[in-house]
Amino acid sequence: MPRSSSLPPRPLRLVAGAALALSIAALVVLVLVSILRAATGAAASSVDIWRLVVMTSTQAALTTVISLIVGIALAWALNRLRFPGRDLIVGLFASAIVTPGLIIAFGLLAVWGRAGWVNEASLALTGQSLEVPIFGLGGILAAHVILDASFAARILLARLDAIPEARLKMGQSLGLGALQRFTVIDWPMLGPTLPGLGAIIFLLAFTSFPIVLLLGGGPANQTLEVAIYAAVRLDFDLAGAVQLALVQIAICSAIILATAAFAPVSAATGRSRPPRWRDAGWARSVQWAILAVSIVGFALPLVAILVDGIGPGIIELAQRESFWRALVTSLVIGTGSAALTLLLALTIGMARAATASRLARTAIGAPAYAYLAVPAVVLSLGAFLLVRDMGLLPEFAAPVVVLVANALLSLPFALATLAPPLEAVAASRGKLIRSLGLGGWAQFRDVEWPLLSRDAGVVVALSFCFSLGDLGVVALFGTEDFTTLPLAMYRALGAYRSNDAATIAALMLLLTIAAFTLLPRLFGRSSDAAR
Amino acid sequence: MSFKHFALAAALSAIAFPTLAQDKPVLTVYTYDSFAAEWGPGPALKAGFETTCGCTVNFSASEDAISTLRKVQLEGATSPADVVVGLDTATAPEARKTGLFATHDLTLPTLAIDWADPDFVPFDYGYFAFVYNKEKTPNPPKSFEELIALPPSFKIVLQDPRSSTPGLGNVIWIRTAYGDRAPKIWQGLKPHILTLSRGWSEAYGLFLDGQADMVLSYTTSPSYHAIAEQDGKYAYAEFTEGYVPQVEVAGVLKTAKQPELARQFLAYLVTPEAQAVIPTTNWMYPVLDMAETLPAGFGTPPANVLTLDESVLDTSLKAWVDEALAALQ
Repeated sequence: MPRSSSLPPRPLRLVAGAALALSIAALVVLVLVSILRAATGAAASSVDIWRLVVMTSTQAALTTVISLIVGIALAWALNRLRFPGRDLIVGLFASAIVTPGLIIAFGLLAVWGRAGWVNEASLALTGQSLEVPIFGLGGILAAHVILDASFAARILLARLDAIPEARLKMGQSLGLGALQRFTVIDWPMLGPTLPGLGAIIFLLAFTSFPIVLLLGGGPANQTLEVAIYAAVRLDFDLAGAVQLALVQIAICSAIILATAAFAPVSAATGRSRPPRWRDAGWARSVQWAILAVSIVGFALPLVAILVDGIGPGIIELAQRESFWRALVTSLVIGTGSAALTLLLALTIGMARAATASRLARTAIGAPAYAYLAVPAVVLSLGAFLLVRDMGLLPEFAAPVVVLVANALLSLPFALATLAPPLEAVAASRGKLIRSLGLGGWAQFRDVEWPLLSRDAGVVVALSFCFSLGDLGVVALFGTEDFTTLPLAMYRALGAYRSNDAATIAALMLLLTIAAFTLLPRLFGRSSDAAR
Repeated sequence: MSFKHFALAAALSAIAFPTLAQDKPVLTVYTYDSFAAEWGPGPALKAGFETTCGCTVNFSASEDAISTLRKVQLEGATSPADVVVGLDTATAPEARKTGLFATHDLTLPTLAIDWADPDFVPFDYGYFAFVYNKEKTPNPPKSFEELIALPPSFKIVLQDPRSSTPGLGNVIWIRTAYGDRAPKIWQGLKPHILTLSRGWSEAYGLFLDGQADMVLSYTTSPSYHAIAEQDGKYAYAEFTEGYVPQVEVAGVLKTAKQPELARQFLAYLVTPEAQAVIPTTNWMYPVLDMAETLPAGFGTPPANVLTLDESVLDTSLKAWVDEALAALQ
């Protein structure tokens, strides 16, 4: 093989990566075994699993179809329109991937709920109350589409931006109409992305937890994740929870295997260039309309959270010791799991890049991707049972478990973002590194890190935000003394301290925005300075 | 000290040392949110008990009473709780079956209600009812059937019977009033249910917020608005089916670190001093007969009270909950 000769030998990287991959695989097995071991008892509650599966699948399928359609429309509009603040708007939609579901659900209630903005406005203007069914399937779909369509739009926009200039010039000279341009030039770029993107969205919707918990409105609208949580927390039916968890893992694995051809989408999308060739006439009006509706739909719940949450309530909240503890816990867990994610992804990615054997690369990467099939609540349940079996008090194990679990859950995305550039560096600069006689550390410091640091920043930001917004893992482990911000918010809602909940939501949103915008820049700059 | 050091130290103390060392023994009481809230009975009872016990009372609140039971079950033998306050007559059999509760071993004073339970001590009672706003709903429904007949835009908030005692009480109410027709009633209610909340606080909050037209609460809830807020616009809907009573109880855990203090606390709950706190904080009837000391406007218990067969409750409650949840799917 021509490639292998150019790769500098890095046995240490291989060993470290293989060891990590093994331990990650061992952890998956351990979690599965502890779940299986608990499955012996008979389930106490009469949960109709089949009904749950149908209900969850229907919801996920609807979410996927609507999100893809809206995502395509939005990407199309963004690709064509040129306006001041375009970068900001594109960034806004890109941030959807890290916006905690709990926050979107809460924001939707603030805007569309019976006592929300829209209804109040309608009452004031027309005296009529608008009955928007925000609890139930409608609300769940709305929250999912807000997040997933924005995510889809950002990915698809990157595809449209990647259309070669020559093809656009050709199309322009042929005088293609807006519709022809879409079918002839855009669709061939978008089409192949849709199955993989659709699978991710389906998986996200199928395993949705906080949104369904908040907006489900009871047993009529559940996902398997919520049912697992309910079986443990509401019925104390561990055997029932385990049955549900096994079904959940089986279905998620099937989805992933069925779409094995696609790798998880890289979270790092470059800057979107404003278009040179714009559509005219009706198409442009439609694009403006799509953009306006999308911005209002996406941004209004977030604006509502900031407006409702930033106020005198902050002073009251700041006097609660429990709030400060939750804040510090969240920051420590978020920072810790982000650092761990980066470390794991770099180690595994570098090991993959150090070998020319395709089989070895797959073997090293596969355990990390396995966590796509193990959703948060299931992972948490497994860890919970494991800790109980070991006779430990869950609250002592909680900080470690929550930190590690969150890191593992972001690992597939982190690896998908960092592994390809690492392999590209090894392939394209391997010869140079060999001829310079660089050691492993020098290779990392002088060659790889400067090229990767911005992506690493994206990984850290992503992982920090995932962990900051996590409710699925912490829901089973949270105690009075170990509480994160999302859990504190969920508890405040349960105790009807809406002001506290609103303020925590606003704070989480600000933290998310700050991490997502600042961290990639910070990391990017550190490498610029080193250069 | 740099910010980093400070943050790290704070984080470590937050995670590793949740409670500071205290000289006095600490009595840990698991209860529901509205009991421990500033305006609930918790603070006054804590202050009252601490004057004599030489201890510190720590409340740890869950959304509702059944959640506290689940918490104790999840924690098992490692639970830090000494006392659980807020379970009721409907949940006591299940709590007993967990084997986690010890007998109270107390000689109770003469109570206003019949009581012979060896494990749990009653501290108040009330009757479940739907509360509404008279200004917004001039003609409230007079039965579950009338409620069902209203247009679907008429919304109610219920509590999840798996986490909340009022939610469970409603299951018992419908079953006692309608027998085998209960699933039909639940199906009829389905379009009216805005959401099943985890606990009473969330449900009542949604109602006060204007998110729903009626909320499942107690016949005594309007008294709170009338007495504490001088606001007469709330009332409970008088249902012709009759009312289901709820007796709230407290129990000591076998694994209590402070079993003596725990029993003293239970005994304190039925003293005239503690009982005087209940009506205007928990807005329930005290279990000591002190009708003449109730504030004006507190209202008398409804006349039409349904009788519950506790042995049937013990055997069928789980099935009734499943039946109700199935009808809501």
